[in-house]
Amino acid sequence: MRRVYLDHHAATPLLPAARDAMLRAHELGWANASSAHHEGRAARAMLEDARRAVAGALGASAADIVLTGGGTEAGNLGVLGLAGEQVEDLVVITSSIEHPAVERATNELARRGATVHALDLHGSLAPLRDLVARPIFSTARCLLAVQAVSHETGSTIDVVSIASMLPKGASVFVDASAALGKLSADRFVRHDWAVAIAGAKIGASAGAGALLVPRSIDVTPRQLGGAHERGRRAGTPDVAAHTALGLACRALGTRLQQMPRIAVQRDRLEAALVALGGVVNGAETERVATVTNVSFHGWRKSTLVAALDLEGIAVSAGAACSSGLDGPSPVVRALHPDEPWRSESCVRFSLGIETSDEDIDLAVAAITRVLARRAG
Amino acid sequence: MSDGTRERVLVAMSGGVDSSVAAALLKEQGHDLVGVTMHLWDASGEDKVGRCCAPEDRDDARRTCEALGIPHYVIDEREAFRETVVDPFVRAYREGTTPSPCVACNQEVKLGRLATLADSLACARIATGHYARLERSDDGTPLLRRGVDRNKDQSYFLHGVAPSILRRMIFPLGALEKHETRAHGQRLAVPNWQKKDSQELCFVPDGDIGGFVDRRSTERGEARVPGGVMRTADGEAIGAHEGVHHYTVGQRRGLGLGGGPVRYVLKILPDSAEVIVGSDRDLLGDTVEIEGAHWLGPRPTTPFEADVQVRYRHTAARAVVTPSERGFVARFFTPQRALAPGQASVVYVGDRVIGGGTMRRASMSSPTNEPRGEAP
Repeated sequence: MRRVYLDHHAATPLLPAARDAMLRAHELGWANASSAHHEGRAARAMLEDARRAVAGALGASAADIVLTGGGTEAGNLGVLGLAGEQVEDLVVITSSIEHPAVERATNELARRGATVHALDLHGSLAPLRDLVARPIFSTARCLLAVQAVSHETGSTIDVVSIASMLPKGASVFVDASAALGKLSADRFVRHDWAVAIAGAKIGASAGAGALLVPRSIDVTPRQLGGAHERGRRAGTPDVAAHTALGLACRALGTRLQQMPRIAVQRDRLEAALVALGGVVNGAETERVATVTNVSFHGWRKSTLVAALDLEGIAVSAGAACSSGLDGPSPVVRALHPDEPWRSESCVRFSLGIETSDEDIDLAVAAITRVLARRAG
Repeated sequence: MSDGTRERVLVAMSGGVDSSVAAALLKEQGHDLVGVTMHLWDASGEDKVGRCCAPEDRDDARRTCEALGIPHYVIDEREAFRETVVDPFVRAYREGTTPSPCVACNQEVKLGRLATLADSLACARIATGHYARLERSDDGTPLLRRGVDRNKDQSYFLHGVAPSILRRMIFPLGALEKHETRAHGQRLAVPNWQKKDSQELCFVPDGDIGGFVDRRSTERGEARVPGGVMRTADGEAIGAHEGVHHYTVGQRRGLGLGGGPVRYVLKILPDSAEVIVGSDRDLLGDTVEIEGAHWLGPRPTTPFEADVQVRYRHTAARAVVTPSERGFVARFFTPQRALAPGQASVVYVGDRVIGGGTMRRASMSSPTNEPRGEAP
């Protein structure tokens, strides 16, 4: 059976060039990049080349890039690292639909005594304006921790406008895992912000991510060990995974050029899903091109995911959960609080640069077959 | 794809040996299989040791499916299990009866929910590792028969499954002895063929039902079951007890009566919080009243002779069954021990299940039938 992969927001296929680069790195860069000898230097050279590529993609200096073991680690380091040890005087502003990597980290800050405000940051920013007008912001430290693009619905957050409303001196952390390669970097990068990215979302491997964080900003490390990454992230880096990340970063221009084409495919898929009775989640505000999140009344999302898988279509019900259990989607629930059924019945179709028009045809045919099983 | 050439079979995989071997046998016969594990319960606190639905069981099911080369999904049925099995179980014990949760589970959750899922996944048939046999009468009515291994026979638990679902079932182990199942597991390289059988009720793995009922009651904000008095059948108070939910009719151990004659629980009176105890002989009854009856064929209207099994580990005994609108009365030829209200009573003709229901009341209508000897 021909498989159709529509789960690019979970992981993208490895770019062929990235796979080749990884193989080369396994041959030539397997040594410990911190070692002083010839082999170590070879590994270090590859790692630094990858770091320059990541920096280039974010318009940053290579010295400001902390390489991590993936997007969640970068997000944790961004939120908890900027917050520091003492957080009683910290006010955190976050959105109500963050990825667990950020949501759990801000929960942890709340547990340790920080004040956390989770706002709807997709529509009107009036609530944010009211919040930052409170007197506490004249004395407290402030940390913004938001994603630039929703992993589940593709909704964008105007981080630039939000950051401009914050009190002077506020720290900004942006989770750009779902934004990189879908929006141009000027939408989510500023010279004094921390920004997290993930290799698995742009054609590299899942074992590499990065946090852009300017040298001038203190970051409390999360891992204890050696003085790797300027003391900000202990542990021997995976040269091969980061080589792939660097390569994927250099290919981001090509990826971005594909977005208008992907948007056309997405819109065609979405129109067909709506014609079949689907309701689109998070479509009220701007979205990136690659995703449509649709709820089907009377269906459980895990059942739809299984039924589509058996028909050859790979989709998911939201942020991947190791146990495969299907609680309601917190993101869809926050976006549509008046219609709780939507969060029980939502499926995420996410497209990538490999998606073909035929893929869309096959997906529409498959979901038509599946939905017909419950007709009447 | 479901192109109609081969019927797709949904196989329920608990992670145990029986369902794993059932799947392996069907695979060997060339069926197109989909493995499904139902996640029914999250144990907590002291229940954690040897708990059911543990991640290890899911992993075993997944590993077996991988070995067989079939897809595997985990379906979350915790809500259905809580509402149709666990909550009624707790209520029944609080009311001084002895429920049959495995009957409710097979009827409502396991096979009931699986049938709906099978429809969604275009599976014509449903297979499980139950030790029971299915045949079809000339008119297509499913005939449910005991498993060949009388020690493992599970037809008792299946009596309430709707004929429309039974018609779709496959029980690959029905004709096997347990040791043959394991031998097939070894022959077919089923990864967990040596795994130990589970003995206790799956959601009370430590076997402490009273403690479980107490914990669940607390979690649900219900009052503790009050303690009360233990009396003889003559009304003499001979001890105290900590709540009727700690007892079941026929129980001998844990009565806390010290020395003296061997006594058994004869009757539980929840309203007055009394537990009546007496001798083995007083445990005998010859009449049971059954309500909520299910019949696998047309509902019988006239009395007939059959074998009636009053609990899972009871040797079905000869009785006259008199059907009524919603239930039946069974009058045994020979008095039976420990007739516990709340348990399922299942009617067999030979080794074929005719129907069954829940015991409401048990009595001794004709004490003179009983050959009276001196109590030891």
